[in-house]
Amino acid sequence: MRIAGLGLRLVVLATFAVFFVVPVLWLILAPTKSDHALVTDGPLSFGSFHQVSLAWKHLDAFSDHIYRTWITNSLLYAFSATAIVLATAIPAGYGLAFGTFPGRKVILTLTLVVMIMPAAALVLPIFLELNSLHLIGNALSVILPFAFFPFGVYLAYIYYVTAVPRDLLDAARADGCGEWLTFRRVALPLAKPVVALVFFFSFVADWNNFFLPYAVIADSSQYPIQVGLSDLLSSTPSFNPAQGGGGQQVNIFRPELALATLLAVIPVAIVFLLSQRALVRGLVGGAVKE
Amino acid sequence: MSSSAVTSPYAQAPRKRGLRAVVERTRGLGSGRGLPFVLPYLPFLILFGIAPMIYALKLAVTKDNGDWAGLHNFTRTVDDYRFGPAFKHIFLYTGVWLGALVIFVVTLALLLHGRANRVSSTFRFVFYIPGALAGAASVLVWLFMLDPSVSPGSFLVHNVLGAGLFVESIAPGHLPFIFAMIAFWTGAGGWIVVMYGALNTIPQDLEEAARIDGAGPIGIALRLKLPLIRKWIAYMVILSFATGTQLFVEPQLVNQASLGLVPDTWSANQLAYQEAFRYADFNAAAAIAVDLLAIGLFAAVLIVSRTGLFRTED
Amino acid sequence: MRVFERSAPGWSRWRRMRWTILTSLAVTGIAVGLAACGGSSGSGSTSSQAATSSTASGAKAAGPASGSLTVWVDSVRLPAAKAYQKAHPDVHLKIVTFDGDANGATTLQTKIQLWNRSGKGWPDVIFSEQVNDPVWMAKKPFEFAQPIKGLVPESALRQWPAPSTAQCTIDGTQYCVQDNLAQVVLWVNKKLMDRFGYTVPTTWQEWAALGQKVATEHPGYIVGNSGDSFSHWIYLWSGQCPLQQLKGDKVTINATDPHCTRMASLMDPLIKNGTVPPLSVFTPDFAKKYGGAKDKVLLMPGPAWFATALFHDTLHLPAGQITAASPLKWENESPVVTGQVGGGPWIVSKHSKNLKAAGDFVTWETTVFNDKRPGYPAYAPLADSWLATLAKDPFFASDPTAALKGAAPLIWQGWNLVTYPDQPVWSNTVVTKLVAGTALSALLQPLGDGLANAAQAAGYQVARE
Repeated sequence: MRIAGLGLRLVVLATFAVFFVVPVLWLILAPTKSDHALVTDGPLSFGSFHQVSLAWKHLDAFSDHIYRTWITNSLLYAFSATAIVLATAIPAGYGLAFGTFPGRKVILTLTLVVMIMPAAALVLPIFLELNSLHLIGNALSVILPFAFFPFGVYLAYIYYVTAVPRDLLDAARADGCGEWLTFRRVALPLAKPVVALVFFFSFVADWNNFFLPYAVIADSSQYPIQVGLSDLLSSTPSFNPAQGGGGQQVNIFRPELALATLLAVIPVAIVFLLSQRALVRGLVGGAVKE
Repeated sequence: MSSSAVTSPYAQAPRKRGLRAVVERTRGLGSGRGLPFVLPYLPFLILFGIAPMIYALKLAVTKDNGDWAGLHNFTRTVDDYRFGPAFKHIFLYTGVWLGALVIFVVTLALLLHGRANRVSSTFRFVFYIPGALAGAASVLVWLFMLDPSVSPGSFLVHNVLGAGLFVESIAPGHLPFIFAMIAFWTGAGGWIVVMYGALNTIPQDLEEAARIDGAGPIGIALRLKLPLIRKWIAYMVILSFATGTQLFVEPQLVNQASLGLVPDTWSANQLAYQEAFRYADFNAAAAIAVDLLAIGLFAAVLIVSRTGLFRTED
Repeated sequence: MRVFERSAPGWSRWRRMRWTILTSLAVTGIAVGLAACGGSSGSGSTSSQAATSSTASGAKAAGPASGSLTVWVDSVRLPAAKAYQKAHPDVHLKIVTFDGDANGATTLQTKIQLWNRSGKGWPDVIFSEQVNDPVWMAKKPFEFAQPIKGLVPESALRQWPAPSTAQCTIDGTQYCVQDNLAQVVLWVNKKLMDRFGYTVPTTWQEWAALGQKVATEHPGYIVGNSGDSFSHWIYLWSGQCPLQQLKGDKVTINATDPHCTRMASLMDPLIKNGTVPPLSVFTPDFAKKYGGAKDKVLLMPGPAWFATALFHDTLHLPAGQITAASPLKWENESPVVTGQVGGGPWIVSKHSKNLKAAGDFVTWETTVFNDKRPGYPAYAPLADSWLATLAKDPFFASDPTAALKGAAPLIWQGWNLVTYPDQPVWSNTVVTKLVAGTALSALLQPLGDGLANAAQAAGYQVARE
């Protein structure tokens, strides 16, 4: 009975594992095949490394190496915005957790409310705001909105409230530390798990954000990679075949698109791997129980 | 017990001794404590959180020359021939997605929350992998998955979707389910990690006690664990509901990939985008945005009040 | 509920975190550096000096152009743009490839709005695949297009066919020049027709009868297709179906007019028996089923640019098989009319700071460039040399130029250009249902309704009969 139960459990888990992983496997293997081989050979077969380098050559040649620009843009936006987020959200979480100033509850509530309202619906007013500040066309038009990450503030707040006892801070103050020193010497070092978490979430959110850059950036050389991918999709014959014979010149077919997608994912995957431990342990407890 | 206690210019009374006394004294100091730490965050909160909400509200009730329009923008957008279908689509999509999330994420988390930790963490990692592909990347992957001629799951595409060609895969009736599946594929992993973690905060003793009482694994799962993670499930539903109704990337990319077979106003957010950027009608777009905001807020309030989500937060 | 564990500062974890943060800062620094050196800030009308000294006279000699230009082209026109750069090294050309506004996309509308709102970023020249784009580009609130007079020499402008010029003329001013003529002809696989012993049909009725025959005698072969976003331009436009007749601000959309219903009834059995499948010619699925070695395209009503762009470049059909025949007529109705699929207007931005170079670019592209040009040039002298090259092209079974040239003046003038795209309406009200098995005749009413909705949303008054 137990064995059967265990067996069933594993079957269910394995089925879902297949569902989650096979598309990614396909994506990794797709650039190794030519467009023709994608259709004729097995979907999870391996082609050749030579094909991968061909695919990269075509991809890179598209629109004067614009693919590299897109990746660079994404890195710029994500890292800059996340740096600002870390600099503002961690202290803010601390201040909201332990502060006693008037309006603390208001700011907390507003943060929670805005957090529940994802940015997509606010992008249009943000666009108008940015336009009135003459920031459209500037990288800041993407970085600054990205730097607003209420979820990061909320995470830091929750962390400080639950994991850092007041007494620790009071002890520091008793030792003569002022507010800033208390934060820097006691609260900040204790915040490492949540710093990793906020970094991770902010970076991933910025990297994957589509709607805001799509709406506010007019010059395709300033696109982040997500919007760039949609541009690639629409400019090439594989999925917009009304481009017809132009395919020969543009040379972006399905393996190139797969490669483009795969490369676009790697930075996030790296960040994810780096933050793995902090994620699993820091957020809502890992394997350790009380 | 320090004598170099913080000297308060306000303290006139004879000093109490001890750490506690010191702390009490300093707690009474200036009600502005903590504010400087929050200050750097405030401009962002205002500029990109509060102000846009207010701006959206203002745009929604004014005409493009600034005059008061009352509810006119709302009524005329509702009358638009694309409004009904767009909202129908996103409600259907959100319903399917939330259903899948609640059922499968909770089930998988419960299944993982057993003994074999190494196995469990491997599965958790595997489930999480697609999370790295959110946004345009995941849609591109699934465009290939739905094309029977290249997909590794072509058997399923043929039999479940009844599609022999890509155009059949993306038939209008399939779309909400396809988009929900894509959203589930990218998002489930993260929530499974969260649910698993939530399950881990359940004290061992409770589980032991239930086991001693004779409860089997399913009984424990359903009657002990499930109610205790209610709050997290509610949290997941709130966040996912709001993001679900704001769907944009998936239908936009499928619109491009299908050569227009899927309209570029399939979702409400797409309609708002077209209103703003094609018709230059920011007021209509704002009306739709406010509709979406209101829906999210309503759902949040409903769920929060029903589950007491915020009761222990402060 | 304990959300976070109390973590004692672990030295190794702090080390790892510090490494992560430092790396992030380093990468940010590198990224910023790269972006600053590499990327261009903003696009479009940024040029230093005025261009030519001599005024452009003949179409072929426009004087030395210089300065910088930003042009937006689709991928089919990319070689043409690159050829211009090669021929004019003094001009700094920035080429941006985009979707060409194909299939009724609203890319250009959203982009131009964005540029207008932020006050910068307009390209100097845009090529669009949507023939109706100049119509809204010339009007409020876009006001993007620069009148073409003075940019393209007058002597050249006179050599565009009148209907082509008329399509670029909005409210009396000409705002664009067309790259190519896209008249619909009947493409024939002569080799297969001979092999099966069929004669080339001259009327729609003969075509339909042949389709029925093919379905029984040679199943798998096709005589047309209905799944493209522009299929209605091939069949309904040729059939004189009044779906887009403009008078001032009023557009007549009568989808149940006998001209429409008769064509639909003719096509229904063919769509049903698979000889006119609801598939787009450019999809990989179509190529797999009917192209390449399969070689199952027997007949195909389609535009002039199908010549090489479709049959050779996309479908990779074997050489010596395809040729063109005169467009089909309806029984013995006269005059014979046909449909139009595209035409590719070139538009110059009125915000351009280098109008002379922009004009020179457009002139060169439409009157000079002829290297494997994909479409039938609209500029008459160039058309003659293009046709001459095509006549000698060994890809075709026989000389297709007579049919192409003959069909050029036959485009039905009863289908006017409006500010809204009609392709998406055809795609998502008709094609999706055709795929699901509904008859075209049953879809005419929804098509009309959809077009009426689109027209009203665009601000037109609509008459339904």
